[in-house]
Amino acid sequence: MRKYAHSFLVGLQSNLVYRWNFAVRGFFSLFHLAVVFILWGAAYSGTKAIGGFSFGQTLTYFLVMLVMQFFVGAFNEDYQISEEIRNGLINQFLLKPINYFLYRFSIFVAARLVTGLLILLPLLVAVPLLHDYLTLPSDLWRLPLGLVAMVQSALIQFSIAYCFGMLTFWFLEIQGFVILSMAVESILGGQMFPLDLLPGGIYRAAQFLPFYYQTYFPVAIFTGRLNDPGAVAQGLAIQFGWVVILLSVNQLLWTRGLRRHTAVGG
Amino acid sequence: MPRFLQIWFASARYSIIRTLMFRMDFFVWSLVELFWMSVNLLLIAVIYDHTSSIAGWSKYEMLLLVGTALLVQRFLMGFFWSSIFEMGRNIRSGYFDFFLAQPGNILFMATTRKLDPDGLVNSFVAMGVVAYAAHRLNLHPTAVDLALYAAMILCGLVIHYSILVISVSLAFWMTSAQGVEGIYFTLAEFSRLPREAFKGLASLVFVWLVPVVVVSNAPARTILHGFQPGWVLAIAGAAALWFSAAVIIFHLGLRRYASASS
Repeated sequence: MRKYAHSFLVGLQSNLVYRWNFAVRGFFSLFHLAVVFILWGAAYSGTKAIGGFSFGQTLTYFLVMLVMQFFVGAFNEDYQISEEIRNGLINQFLLKPINYFLYRFSIFVAARLVTGLLILLPLLVAVPLLHDYLTLPSDLWRLPLGLVAMVQSALIQFSIAYCFGMLTFWFLEIQGFVILSMAVESILGGQMFPLDLLPGGIYRAAQFLPFYYQTYFPVAIFTGRLNDPGAVAQGLAIQFGWVVILLSVNQLLWTRGLRRHTAVGG
Repeated sequence: MPRFLQIWFASARYSIIRTLMFRMDFFVWSLVELFWMSVNLLLIAVIYDHTSSIAGWSKYEMLLLVGTALLVQRFLMGFFWSSIFEMGRNIRSGYFDFFLAQPGNILFMATTRKLDPDGLVNSFVAMGVVAYAAHRLNLHPTAVDLALYAAMILCGLVIHYSILVISVSLAFWMTSAQGVEGIYFTLAEFSRLPREAFKGLASLVFVWLVPVVVVSNAPARTILHGFQPGWVLAIAGAAALWFSAAVIIFHLGLRRYASASS
């Protein structure tokens, strides 16, 4: 376990080197928040509620979604893994008593800790401006269940990125697949709009897909879009199922991929 | 001018041959762009499921606006994106020397070298979205309106091109300007919104200072309401101003360029 703690610390240091890049990225996210504010503000101009939620609740949803992405989202882990496979850098992990998945995951956790804390800086600017609109439910049960959902979301996000990285064993270039998947994730993960605004049948179908649990699920718990603790517990069980499935796929792709791998360089 | 066209045709021919060599890549990237366009259209569809108007714009008016914004963006992606994106990397790595050694206008050579047929293919989808919206609105634009629309799309393309060149030119000053191209995508998000939605400071910044809203709203309004001199002047003036700024900033940056390759 100590070796992964060490990887975590190295990841922490290397991500702190790029703190300004992340901070700039965080400030640019505020522009996205401005688009959300303008678009949804205009949509709400003729109505008090959309999908049963006020403008303040919708704005809060997008703000929490932004924070969630910086805390649990996979940024470029897929490309990093892909690069290590292509350049032959993974060869060193095959020769050492270290699990590549755990090594990568410990770096991912360190990176999200840094980006998650850095997004709080631009929020210091945004929150006072939006203070009058923001509204969060105060039920205590949301905190523990939301945090569990967040941890499982991080595992799902990382596992999907890891799967895409593993595709490098079969394909030279994975960028197209990754950006294609990002488009699907942005819709079914609730980044473009709250998923509960989808027609009932589609929304229910989305609840069985892993994308629903990537970001929408924890955000919906924290912002009051999911209000039944029983339904949330059921969601946590489905989310756990997806974690297990994706971790198994990760392992399968790793063992199958290594059979195809030709170690060049090192 | 014929010489520029000759060089551009040679580059385009090379890009198309290259695309034909990597057909799977072309298919995947066309699909990627199509998916991202669908994401934007789906957002509009979902919002209008719950409301009848966004800042006074009906569903199909909004679709026409978003289609127009996507059309300008597809043209930028098809004609310039790869070249300008690589320009930033080349400045950082020192490979930009290659363009300095070429017998031609440096900005032209560096920003038109590659053509992306996948972006251009999807421009037909964007045109289809605009035509479908116009049909649902029962609009019958005259030939003059259509010619004006095309001219404004061209002006919009010039504005987007200039914003991207200025963003990437920051690489001349910043050693770590990686991801600066993202500025363009952030600003492009505003161009899918109607002018009436912007108030106060947002109106000053995104309509007048950085005319990303004008780029889509001016041509869309020409199809919706016919010729409006104010909007024509706004977009033509903004295009001239931003292109001049891009040329000046690029050349100022060029003076700072110190090759890193040799």
